Amino acid sequence: MALAAPNWEELESLARREIGDRAYLERLLDLWRGALAASGAALYLDREEDDDSTTHRYLREVVAGEGPFPAALEEGDEGGELYAYPVPGGLLVARPDGEAATEAPPPPEPLTLLLASALRSLDLRQQLKRQRFRINYRVVELESVYEVGLAIASTLDLDQLSEEILLRAVSLLDARRGALYRRDGEMYRLDRIFGGEAREIFSGDDPALEPLLSGRGPGPDGLIPGAKHLLAVAIGTGTRPPGLLVTGDKESRHGVGPFGVSDRRTLSLFANQAAIALENARLHRQALEKERLEREMELAAEIQRQILPVGAPDLPGWELIGWNRPARQVGGDYFDLRRREGLLTLTVGDVTGKGIAAALLVSTLHSALHLLLDRLDVGPELVTRLNSHVHDSSASNKFITLIVAELDAASGELAYVNAGHNPGLVIRRGAKEAIELQASGLPLGLMPGGSYRRATIPLEAGDLVCLYSDGITECAAPDDEEFGMQRLIDCLVEMEGAPLGEIVACIDKQTQEFAEGQPQLDDQTVVLVRRAG
Amino acid sequence: MSESLKLNVDRRGDLAVIYTEGYINNQGGEEIAKTAYQLIDDDCKVLLLHLGGTKIVNSIGISILIEIIEKMIEIDGKLAFCSLTPTIEKTFHIMGLAQYAGIYADEPAAVAVLGAD
Repeated sequence: MALAAPNWEELESLARREIGDRAYLERLLDLWRGALAASGAALYLDREEDDDSTTHRYLREVVAGEGPFPAALEEGDEGGELYAYPVPGGLLVARPDGEAATEAPPPPEPLTLLLASALRSLDLRQQLKRQRFRINYRVVELESVYEVGLAIASTLDLDQLSEEILLRAVSLLDARRGALYRRDGEMYRLDRIFGGEAREIFSGDDPALEPLLSGRGPGPDGLIPGAKHLLAVAIGTGTRPPGLLVTGDKESRHGVGPFGVSDRRTLSLFANQAAIALENARLHRQALEKERLEREMELAAEIQRQILPVGAPDLPGWELIGWNRPARQVGGDYFDLRRREGLLTLTVGDVTGKGIAAALLVSTLHSALHLLLDRLDVGPELVTRLNSHVHDSSASNKFITLIVAELDAASGELAYVNAGHNPGLVIRRGAKEAIELQASGLPLGLMPGGSYRRATIPLEAGDLVCLYSDGITECAAPDDEEFGMQRLIDCLVEMEGAPLGEIVACIDKQTQEFAEGQPQLDDQTVVLVRRAG
Repeated sequence: MSESLKLNVDRRGDLAVIYTEGYINNQGGEEIAKTAYQLIDDDCKVLLLHLGGTKIVNSIGISILIEIIEKMIEIDGKLAFCSLTPTIEKTFHIMGLAQYAGIYADEPAAVAVLGAD
């Protein structure tokens, strides 16, 4: 092979350009090709992109003359139809004009040195570019961790925060896929997913979980189906942390591979910030839920306050009072005082349970009772219909004890039906004992149909009727002893002749003293009626 | 959320708007590069990448976008971005893309500037 003499004038002109300039390299390479009498030449840069790679990989940068030249060459690929000349930081490759000789001809030294120098300059520039890219991306990582920290103060929407955390984790680690799990009791439940499918739920006891978190195993079966490499870290601390952040398949320009040690550190740092953010958002959601429930309870209490009578109807020749104190904001006790011409209907009921469910049933009872009282007198038919209505419109474990009485103001006759309620009490003037108005049937709502009996009792001047709920008689002392019906009777007897308001105050005072400061566990209701004279 | 990137191209004379939807990662970046290089071969000198449908970009995707910017500079062309999420916009600023490519709030704002050049 004949070596062509270089054109020194052109070289001098080229040398004035910046070393590493692409046009300079192209022209220099073409001169080099001409000097070798080759049909084509290419300049490859050594690119060790993967830190753990030990094989040199060369990428084509500049071509002169005829090709083709492969875009990339692995160490050992060179040879065959091509002449290869390793230089620091890369490879010069020539395609012979005709059949390749067994051994590559010696390269033109001055041009090769110039090319090697220019290639080195290009290589350094590109290394600098890659380093700058890595440093900048490190700043992006730190910014992301910082911004998740900021989100603690600014984002309290749990769903939005979960998505933000997952997207940032996938992006930061160059992952192809990702999933965020949140603990739900003993299980981990999929909360957010990116890039395909993931297992919906798995046990916190899954033996594959710990190896996954320590980087020693692939994790529970089918966690991210199809992903070849997983990296998972705990969000939060403890043997069963509140969440898990899983990323799958780290990307590079050549495909996907495993995550490195620095990826685990980055993801852990990120998850630590995310744990605080998620916990804050969870607590905020809880607080909102509590606030919503409190608003609902207040609304229910308001409805109930409107159901229960304020004051008592005026009935000449009779004194009346009704009093109620719920154990919670909304109670399950009900009382009603309703005058219809010369008749007064007195009702006391007690719904099983307390809170909103009990209040709703109280509302149902109130509506049904008022509708029926427009058409029926107090008697078995009224209570049987009430029973059917309550049975049809309440849960199987809900029932109502009820005593409903009808007083004829003129004659003084009290007719009543007691459906499983505490016995009403009648204290005759001057008596030390009470007459009990006993139950004649089951509480409302227990069974369809039912059988009830109407009974009557005449009331004389000074006779006192007391209807009450079990919150009075079952009020408990610290040793669990109940206040009981006898103490209530004693109070009524002792307060004979006193204004009804004072009798109610006495019952309240005595039950509270009996409870010795124990919290009120059940709703308390008292209705008193006394014939004047 | 899908991992694959969907692209739509709207060619308007010298300007082409590339709409992306999905993850700009290795695969997504290569898709954008393929489309961009094809447009360059078809004498398109101004590219607007509309990232309104993209919530996430990784470092591989960014490195490919940088290569496209370099290619545009080589041919004296211009590349710009619009409709970026705040996170992606911040990332582009940190990574230096904003030094060589315009970043606009939305498509009309970008077209007003690119079309006027």
